[in-house]
Amino acid sequence: MTYDDYLDGKPVVVTAALTGGIHGKEANPNLPETPEEIAEAAAACEAAGASVLHLHAREANGERAFSTERFQTVTDAVRAATDDVIVQHSTGGTGAPTELRAEPLRTDPAPDMASLDMGPMNRGQHLTSENTRATVAALHEEMRERGIKPEVEVFNDGHLNEVLAVADDLAAPPSITLILGPGTLSVPSPRSLLHLVDHLPEGAEFTTLGFGRHQLPLTTLSVLLGGHVRVGLEDNVYYRRGELAESNAQLVERAVRIVEEFGRPLATTDEAREILGV
Amino acid sequence: MAERCQHLDYRREGDGKAFEVARAYCTVADRFVQPVTADICNARYDLDPTEHCEIYLDHHGVDGEESAGGTSDSDSVGDGEDGRKGSDP
Ligand code: SF4
Repeated sequence: MTYDDYLDGKPVVVTAALTGGIHGKEANPNLPETPEEIAEAAAACEAAGASVLHLHAREANGERAFSTERFQTVTDAVRAATDDVIVQHSTGGTGAPTELRAEPLRTDPAPDMASLDMGPMNRGQHLTSENTRATVAALHEEMRERGIKPEVEVFNDGHLNEVLAVADDLAAPPSITLILGPGTLSVPSPRSLLHLVDHLPEGAEFTTLGFGRHQLPLTTLSVLLGGHVRVGLEDNVYYRRGELAESNAQLVERAVRIVEEFGRPLATTDEAREILGV
Repeated sequence: MAERCQHLDYRREGDGKAFEVARAYCTVADRFVQPVTADICNARYDLDPTEHCEIYLDHHGVDGEESAGGTSDSDSVGDGEDGRKGSDP
């Protein structure tokens, strides 16, 4: 993916990350947690132009849920509330064992895509989301067995080395999410995103995910670089400095305005399936 | 095997917020904790309040001095700068 893709008017795939697994309504009361709330947000994001929905599940009290049963409830509700979206389940889970993190892959039907975190990420002083190579390999293997397209998550440029090491095993084209933000994520800057894009595997499609205040500028740059974009309350609870976002759809609507203002068409879900190889 | 944190409570109201279902509340920091932190508070998986929670460790300082909360829940899970949130993408 290149600037030529921008010039050629390649469609942009917009992913909405609705809920996440870290913060909840204590951070933004508009963040959807129950299956009903997630389904409502999903429908609104689809109407706003998102073709991929990145899903996490929660317990009734907002705490993290990993079980197939809980994901089934969420994914059923989302599929019932939407016309045609690409359903993407998270397999992330700081501190949770690999076996539990594989459970979201076992819904019926299987998700179209699932996240595959390519390595560790520190959280504060005492906690690391480990994502050992053994964990990555186990999750990837189960995705292959179930026909699930990996959404390869690159937390920093070292993780691109990890992607390159398994690139031959990834279903074509590799669909890579470049994550820029604080701590052990890639340094959130335009130059950093350019560097990451320069080192993508041959033929890869990339989606840019900027945390917090970096979401808006890096979304814009991704559009110019021929990439795709991910927005949503999982990654950013604010609309602008000091102002909480009203909804996931509000963030999707802004991303869509940027995409259209820069002259790239928004990918339909059929186009997104073709572009991402789902 | 680690034990659930002695400072954990489940509340529907507090810190200027209200919820329909009782949520994890830290009585040291006096606020609702993030879902990922609630797994530390409850000592789920291999997580342990005495090892992984900065609020706990700060409160039970190694020099024996107790402080009033200190490190934030946000800090303990690596949130983004300017109070904007990070995640487990
Ligand atoms: S945030 Fe830390 S100190 Fe507070 S209840 Fe949870 S584990 Fe205990």
